[in-house]
Amino acid sequence: MSNSISYNERLLKIFAGVRCLNKDQLPRYLEGRLTDIEKHLVEQHLVDCDLCFDALQVLHKDGQMEKYISLSTGIQQYIRASIRPVSQLQKMERYLRRVKKRESLLIYFWLVAFIVGGGSLLYLMQQYNRNKPVMARPAAVPVVPAAAIATTPPPADSQASPSKPVMLSSATGATTTPLATPPPAVKDTAKALVKKPAIDSAARKAAAAAAAKAADSLRLKKAAIKDSAAKPAIKKDTPVMAAAATVDKTDKTDKKDDNNNNSKEKEENGSNASKPAATKAAPSSSAIVDTDEYLYKAAMVYQQQGNLDEAISRYKRLTPNNGRVGEMARYQMGVCYRSKGQTGKAKRMFKEVVRMDGTMKQAAQQALDNL
Amino acid sequence: MYQQLSNLSDKELISRARKLKDREAEGVLLERYSHLLVAICLPTLKNNPGTSVQTLFPSLLQRLSNGLKTQSIQKASEWVHQTAKTYFAHPDKQIPYYPSREAREQLHTENRVEKAASNTIEKQTLITQIQQALAGLSTDDRYLVEQFYLENKTFADLAAQKGYTPEKVRQLLKKAKSRLAMQLTNQSHVK
Repeated sequence: MSNSISYNERLLKIFAGVRCLNKDQLPRYLEGRLTDIEKHLVEQHLVDCDLCFDALQVLHKDGQMEKYISLSTGIQQYIRASIRPVSQLQKMERYLRRVKKRESLLIYFWLVAFIVGGGSLLYLMQQYNRNKPVMARPAAVPVVPAAAIATTPPPADSQASPSKPVMLSSATGATTTPLATPPPAVKDTAKALVKKPAIDSAARKAAAAAAAKAADSLRLKKAAIKDSAAKPAIKKDTPVMAAAATVDKTDKTDKKDDNNNNSKEKEENGSNASKPAATKAAPSSSAIVDTDEYLYKAAMVYQQQGNLDEAISRYKRLTPNNGRVGEMARYQMGVCYRSKGQTGKAKRMFKEVVRMDGTMKQAAQQALDNL
Repeated sequence: MYQQLSNLSDKELISRARKLKDREAEGVLLERYSHLLVAICLPTLKNNPGTSVQTLFPSLLQRLSNGLKTQSIQKASEWVHQTAKTYFAHPDKQIPYYPSREAREQLHTENRVEKAASNTIEKQTLITQIQQALAGLSTDDRYLVEQFYLENKTFADLAAQKGYTPEKVRQLLKKAKSRLAMQLTNQSHVK
């Protein structure tokens, strides 16, 4: 049985693949220095392989063994020499590629890490800012209005205002007709002007200059009001707005009056040159009002520039005036004191304004309530 | 790396050289057949004194290298032999290698036997098929095959017995084997 199996197994040997003769086997086969098994394997291979058989035939017949040996070592060296540098280069390339890949991966990693870190930091900042005002608001609020009132006037207005009035007054005094509005604080005098208009040209010019100055002062005031209105939440000076509204209203009515005044003036100029006593009184009263207005305006400028002490001293000069300018000056003094933190004095000023029972009464009352 | 590559079979080296563009594998493969190549080139060098060793081998190796990249190679030894033969016949022409039908049938049978190494059922089927194919051979051929493969006789022994030259014995054995392979392939196609 075992014999039959081995016999059968040996049948498969017919088609067993055997490798070609290597460099050692070839001369040994020729010289007959192979073992029986080895020799049989070689012959088994020789049946199939023409290359090996041809090689053996050539070497067996021609006997060029020496040439064969030298040439075979030569060709082997040639192959190795032509392959080696390339393979070394390939290895270097492979290594460099691997290093580059690793570097690029590291770069990507740090980029992603940086982005994630930055994103989380921003998120945390947002969260912190969202929670922060609850703690920080009480400390921050009192600082802001003082700065808004005292130190940060609108740049355009503050720069333009000191130089403007002089230029405008000179220009209007020389050329323009009294079309501009008279000061709103001097309603009564304006009415007087309507009743008793000036006749001579000098008086008319003076009136025109006064009107121009008043218009300038109003413009300044409006600027100041605008400034304060720009930050209503912080400043809490809404009364000023109300005052400004009232000022505007009076302004408009005065304008109308002025227009009437002008027309009447012209009529009277044309028809009559009487009532000289009345005309003399009008310019003098308007001149006093003008100086007060001018002082008030200068003080406003100081206040806007943040020079509160100077502003207060200017306002103090206006306190003898019990008219509208005096009232406004007192109110502004109150504001200044409040800005300086002298609440006692500020209260006194606001109370005086309330006592005067003028247009600023309501605003002063509100300021008092807020103190 | 060289040691590892030299242990690989021809098939693996060829696939490495082609797929991975591994010059080292290509070098190992060519080196494996270089001494045989030198041996078969010797008559050409002897017969044509004008042929220089410095031009013949590099150009032949270059042709082999090009063929390795483009041709489908089933048996490396046959490919090398055919390439060398065509080079000697037409040094300027690049005639592609194509295995003969006998070679393909033989290779197919060899592959079958190799695959059946661990499969006893397949082995048994193959053995019975080979026995049937052997029975189909002529008496002379069958005798030669049985003596050579099963009784481990050498070429010289058989030549002495039959009165042939060893080359003739080899030739007869080759033909008998080719017939066997053809019969086995036909059997497998019929089945």
